[in-house]
Amino acid sequence: MKYLSLIALFALLFFAACQDDDDPVQTGDIATTIQFRAEYDDTDLAIQSATYAYPTGAELKATLFQYYVSDLTLIAADSSEVELSEIELIRYDDATADNIEERTYDVPAGDYIGLRFGLGVKPELNALDPNNFAADDPLNENEFWNSTARYVFAKIEANADLENDGTFDTGLSYHMGSDALYSIVTFTGSFTLDGDNDPQLIVTSDVLKALSDGMDTFDIADPEKQRVHGGNQAVATEIWERLAGQFELLIQ
Amino acid sequence: MSSSSVFVVRRILYNSWCFALVLCVASCQPSPPVTQLIPEPEKFAKIIYPPDNPTTREGLALGKRLFYDPILSADSTISCSTCHLPELAFTDGRKVSKGIGGRTGKRNSPGLVNIGYLHKTLFWDGRADDLESQALHPVADPNEMGGDWPLLISKLRRHPDYMPAFRRAFGLSDDRELSPDHVGKALAQFQRSLISSDSKYDKVERGEAVYTETERLGHAIFFDLADEPDPEFHGLPTGECAHCHIPPHFTNQKFFNNGLDEADSLEDFKDIGRALVTGSVYDNGTFRTPGLRNVALTAPYMHDGRFENLYDVVAHYNSGGHYAENRNANIFELGLSNDQAEALVAFLHTLTDSSFVNNPDYRQ
Repeated sequence: MKYLSLIALFALLFFAACQDDDDPVQTGDIATTIQFRAEYDDTDLAIQSATYAYPTGAELKATLFQYYVSDLTLIAADSSEVELSEIELIRYDDATADNIEERTYDVPAGDYIGLRFGLGVKPELNALDPNNFAADDPLNENEFWNSTARYVFAKIEANADLENDGTFDTGLSYHMGSDALYSIVTFTGSFTLDGDNDPQLIVTSDVLKALSDGMDTFDIADPEKQRVHGGNQAVATEIWERLAGQFELLIQ
Repeated sequence: MSSSSVFVVRRILYNSWCFALVLCVASCQPSPPVTQLIPEPEKFAKIIYPPDNPTTREGLALGKRLFYDPILSADSTISCSTCHLPELAFTDGRKVSKGIGGRTGKRNSPGLVNIGYLHKTLFWDGRADDLESQALHPVADPNEMGGDWPLLISKLRRHPDYMPAFRRAFGLSDDRELSPDHVGKALAQFQRSLISSDSKYDKVERGEAVYTETERLGHAIFFDLADEPDPEFHGLPTGECAHCHIPPHFTNQKFFNNGLDEADSLEDFKDIGRALVTGSVYDNGTFRTPGLRNVALTAPYMHDGRFENLYDVVAHYNSGGHYAENRNANIFELGLSNDQAEALVAFLHTLTDSSFVNNPDYRQ
């Protein structure tokens, strides 16, 4: 009986030790969540419910912001790469939802020095018919123009009050995408994934920064610049370039 | 007889008894339903079948029979087919549907063409997540079938044909197992079989037909070909239709305010649509984008059937619609001439699939 008590005591101590903060780090896959946060002028993007000031003096109510991400990849300290996902559609279109889209992946434990993705649908996928994919696949989400124009890589939609009369009666609709626009976004930043106090990875994107960089502002009052659809991508090139250049990675 | 012989005889008798018992039990069990493969066009992404309701020969036959049987309504006067007539691409030709006792429904009857491909929410306001649950709504709606599920299940259990059919379709061993879910599943199996892919549009896509000049112009307007690098249609107005009415099913299954009603405030909508489900004021006045296959057969149009014909629909979109702060940003004045509006309507007619509406497999 005395020995049994001793065994029980050791077992208790052993299991208690397993829950200690000094637990050995995990070496297998770590469930890692990446947050995609949308903002407008460095504040949380609120679909429809917020009124946003535009640099030209107009006001906006955002109704849709979305973009495709191809080949989301972590770059390890030894320069090897871990592909997390071939394609994701990040979409904010719900007034009842917050400004955060999350995706969780199993990632090998280790040291990492960066993250990279393609903004848009990579050319190999952009060449395919959406009906090649399952009906609920991100590539069959009805974000497709036709067999020549192909996927819509990103959308920004809003209703604008240009006259400051309280009516948001000018629709703004920027639908962008083409192989020529496909852009690689790369971040550097060191972090370790070991299952113990893993950092939160947050990719932020700012709708206003896609439309205006402080120096140049897209002229939403020009009727020729209120819509970009299908083939008239030249009008949106500056929005696209700013969009691709404004992503940030926060490691918290 | 020696003791060993007795043992052998007993053994044989025992084994024979066991074998007979197994045979008896097996013969008492309903034979499992036979999986029914529904052929699908290559150009469509496959229907997503729920794992717990594959289409079977027995389930499909039962679903079809139920669809056309007024037994589902409280007074046995209204069947699913009352509001979903095959010759009208499974609509009813009314502004809003009529239920039992001539009661007026709230919304225009939606078509069922390719409904199995719509894997998101159903109804104009998206209140059903799938076909199985959708089928349960009209039975108990006082303005539609006006029924009561416990009473209906009781009626079906006592029915000399239906109860055996449910047993066969779903492997029920006890009549008390029958539930509304089985009715929904059977109806869903039939509705998933309603596939249209042989319209003139499809034939042109397959290279088996060519558009008339007018249809071709309408196709260019529908798909905004004026925006394309090819200069052929430069200068032509864009119809902006395919933002929401995206092929192959001509819907993106999302909810929009398409400018039908003037609303200075989001509180001003008579029918708040999607907001009935979400509770969000920002969804007031938004409705699910309907598919356009066979649209020429499904008049009148919109959730309340306010437009009598496709010319009225095109005129609405050509005008840019009415103001509301949640009006979709792709609704604006199009600048279509009468000829261009006519061409757009002509293109919409190419979505008619007469082989679908005349398919005997879909009829009573």
